[in-house]
Amino acid sequence: MDLLVDSFFSALLLVASFDPEIVSIVAVSLKVSGTSTVLASLMGIPLGFFIAFESFAGKRMVITCLNTLLALPTVVIGLFVYAFISRRGILGPLDLLYTQKAMIIGQTILILPIVATFTIAAISRIDERYSKTAMTLGANRRQTAFVILREARFGIVAAVIAAFGRVIAEVGISMMLGGNARGFTRTMTTAMALEYDKGQFALAVALGIILLGLSFTINLMFHFFQGKTRI
Amino acid sequence: MKVYKISKLTKVYATRTVLDIPLLEITKGRIYALLGHNGAGKTTLLNILGFLDPPTTGNIYYCRQPIQFTEFCLQPLRKSVVMVEQHPILFTTTVHKNLEFGLKVRQMPKKERDRIIKESLALVGMQHLAQAPAHRLSGGETQRVAIARALAVNPEVLLCDEPTSSVDVENQIAIINILRQVNDQKKITIIFTTHDRYQVDSLAHHTLLLNHGKLFDAADGKFFMKKAG
Ligand SMILES: Nc1ncnc2c1ncn2[C@@H]1O[C@H](COP(=O)(O)OP(=O)(O)OP(=O)(O)O)[C@@H](O)[C@H]1O
Ligand SMILES: [Mg+2]
Repeated sequence: MDLLVDSFFSALLLVASFDPEIVSIVAVSLKVSGTSTVLASLMGIPLGFFIAFESFAGKRMVITCLNTLLALPTVVIGLFVYAFISRRGILGPLDLLYTQKAMIIGQTILILPIVATFTIAAISRIDERYSKTAMTLGANRRQTAFVILREARFGIVAAVIAAFGRVIAEVGISMMLGGNARGFTRTMTTAMALEYDKGQFALAVALGIILLGLSFTINLMFHFFQGKTRI
Repeated sequence: MKVYKISKLTKVYATRTVLDIPLLEITKGRIYALLGHNGAGKTTLLNILGFLDPPTTGNIYYCRQPIQFTEFCLQPLRKSVVMVEQHPILFTTTVHKNLEFGLKVRQMPKKERDRIIKESLALVGMQHLAQAPAHRLSGGETQRVAIARALAVNPEVLLCDEPTSSVDVENQIAIINILRQVNDQKKITIIFTTHDRYQVDSLAHHTLLLNHGKLFDAADGKFFMKKAG
């Protein structure tokens, strides 16, 4: 118990003093996870929108597949991407292994299904009278799609937030593809795992506090947007 | 001059035929009341006339032009035919922006848009709520804004599905007067559905009676009156 209390106070000191090591770790985490969230959104929102808005053969099957991918363990993605980017993989010559780019690729794959399925859910919740109304007022396909997208905007923001919440707390991919190199690919979660291994709890607890704080904020935002289906 | 000429039209859902209309002609500039019991097929017919839903079989001529039910062919036609739904929905934004939508789609310059929006809102007595969030309006206000939104785009044909179903008596009369006025001044062809005999008598030039998907055209309302009385 003493250990926890001691670490907790040292941790608070570390956080309060903006310890440079912590700042660098948090910066890497935010940069990598932020980039993967942006990339996943750029692909996942249009993908989800297309699946929800258009009717095509096999639509249900595609949605089922995406839902299955939601449960994909991070280590499986790590292994999968590793197979491509390791020295012997097809993308080996690009030298991506143990870089931030590798982590971003893995994390993007992890959350693409989240963004897509949440977008599908957000679009499907929109009353079909919105598109009918847009159409009767003379809107073409693109303009009608824009109306739907606008009506679903809060749900889509919630999708992006949920995705960010998932990657910021993920360790498997960062560890396997990033390698936990100090100041370069060391993120909050991989640093915590390492410090724990070393038996140095202060830094781990400090990062834990920051991560919890972040998750809490993310959750608050998620519920705010999720509940806000209307202005 | 006929706006619509429809022949051998049917609409089938699964195995149920909900519309079966051998012939229907709609004359330009007239007001038609479409009557029928719940589930008679009124909304279904309006959706087809509004080019929002294809019929299962049949031919439709719009202003002598044969209609192909492809999005490519229908989308331009919707610029001249507007439908106000039975339970209209307003976009989640201001009343002003709701009216602006159809005008922007028609690439009208801003100045003209503002003028028309003001006029249209004044017509339904809603100008004081121009900046109000549209999705917060009451049922009757929503219905009036929806009518203003449709009239703003100055259509050739206005389809109104129970335009007075959720407005109070005072506003029912106001809406009927507006419909009569736009028909009179802008020569807009109007087809509206209703369950209200008084509205039929006071507004419609023609009465169409739907009964289980079959149409009876009572040229001047006599058929309906005879039936009802
Ligand atoms: N998408 C659909 N799928 C299956 N059946 C439908 C569909 N839309 C309408 N129907 C059926 O078609 C019939 C006609 O419906 P419609 O909405 O046109 O009736 P209505 O005359 O407008 O009735 P109301 O006065 O209640 O508005 C109804 O029996 C309805 O159940
Ligand atoms: Mg109806």
